Amino acid sequence: MEALNLNRHISGQFNSELESVRNQVMQMGGLIEQQLGDVLVAMADNNVELARQVIVKDKEVNQFESNVDQECSRIIAKRQPAASDLRLILTIMKSISELERIGDGVAGIASMVIENHGKEVPSLIGLENMGQIVLKMLHNSLDAFTRLDLKAAINIHNEDKKVNRQYESIVRELMTFMMEDPRSIPFILNVLASARSIERIGDRCKNLCEHVVYLVKGVDVRHATEEELNSLLTE
Amino acid sequence: MITLPKSSTEADVLTHLSVEKTALEVKNLDLYYGDKQALFDVSMKIPKGKVTAFIGPSGCGKSTLLRCINRMNDLVDICRVDGKIELQGTNIYDKSVDVAALRRRVGMVFQRPNPFPKSIYENVVYGLRLQGIKDRRTLDEAAEKSLRSAALWKEVKDRLHDNAFGLSGGQQQRLVIARAIAIGPEVLLLDEPTSALDPISTLTIEELITELKEQFTVVIVTHNMQQAARVSDQTAFMYMGKLIEYSDTNTLFTAPKEKQTEDYITGRYG
Repeated sequence: MEALNLNRHISGQFNSELESVRNQVMQMGGLIEQQLGDVLVAMADNNVELARQVIVKDKEVNQFESNVDQECSRIIAKRQPAASDLRLILTIMKSISELERIGDGVAGIASMVIENHGKEVPSLIGLENMGQIVLKMLHNSLDAFTRLDLKAAINIHNEDKKVNRQYESIVRELMTFMMEDPRSIPFILNVLASARSIERIGDRCKNLCEHVVYLVKGVDVRHATEEELNSLLTE
Repeated sequence: MITLPKSSTEADVLTHLSVEKTALEVKNLDLYYGDKQALFDVSMKIPKGKVTAFIGPSGCGKSTLLRCINRMNDLVDICRVDGKIELQGTNIYDKSVDVAALRRRVGMVFQRPNPFPKSIYENVVYGLRLQGIKDRRTLDEAAEKSLRSAALWKEVKDRLHDNAFGLSGGQQQRLVIARAIAIGPEVLLLDEPTSALDPISTLTIEELITELKEQFTVVIVTHNMQQAARVSDQTAFMYMGKLIEYSDTNTLFTAPKEKQTEDYITGRYG
């Protein structure tokens, strides 16, 4: 399946329904990407105002999820989609719930930025780095969904290992901080939770990519090994 | 969601079906109506005790192929067939084959219910009477068994001797199915069996089809793709007289291999 050919249904109405729901996912993705970018800035600059805005905007993300979900169930009831249309709807429904959870993670990080405000929190280059990698992963996953890019999806999927390594080293670093100064433990725990949230966002990007593979190839790779996944590229 | 393809895919399972599990094998079948070729080199194995659906746009050859299986096309003068259809290993187009005997082994049900202008009972035992069976008890038992298999017994058991035309369309179609199975065929061909029925009768027939496959091999032609998706175990998609894709129904409706299949089942123009 090279392209979805969404505009080639005999039913013009069906075309526009699918197109609309797909556009909404892209908009929702764009919003989440912006949210994640903002929270990373807020974390780096200790910008409480920006963190507050992120929390407020999370409501919009939730609204997107409900709307898209509703529209998908209407399409299923009315159109009984099959083959690529069915895979598109399933992918969308799964992807928006990943996106919504990414949104929750982002909002969680924003709350911790607010909580840690004014405390002497050590700034961690590793954390910022990991944040940027995950932000790029998210951007590329959404791109892979939009362009149905199997190769990109698989590459991003493999990227998650980097994030995991980075997370482990951050944990080690934070532990040394805690041992040096036990009074810092409460804030450090917040930083640790943020790092954990970012690492989880990386996992969710990986899931998004798995959904893209399902959409394009029709195979479930959620529990596939790396070789199995890469073998899809040579087929 | 389906799992990663293993070394042998579902499509391979159909091509490598063992002899014991194959009810019918179509081998390189070409069919011509006069100069016009209607089927092009169709080859497929139809498994025993399963429901196989043929789908495709009008004029794609799916009904023609179905009619080949009990040589219904013999009735068309200008029709010529090359290739083989093997029923349990014997080519049904062999000169030695008795067509009447073949049709006892391969029953058929059409789009519009066509009961005979007789009683319900006489409709069901018609084939048995033709075979010369006169014993009342044998006929009674066969009638009840067939009507039960066709999920019609409860509705008609007290009015077996009423005229069949008094039944509703859906009941008439089930009666015709009962008549087809009364003579104990191996294969049951259904040519758009529900296209003249309302949604509830359609569901009843679909339920029946699923039950029938325990005793018979069922081959169904349908215009209703959702019906094919609901009732069949494997689906063949035909287009312009060619078999484009033949695989298990779950795969065909979630991740078809061929673009033409994809376009057809998702309602796109090719």
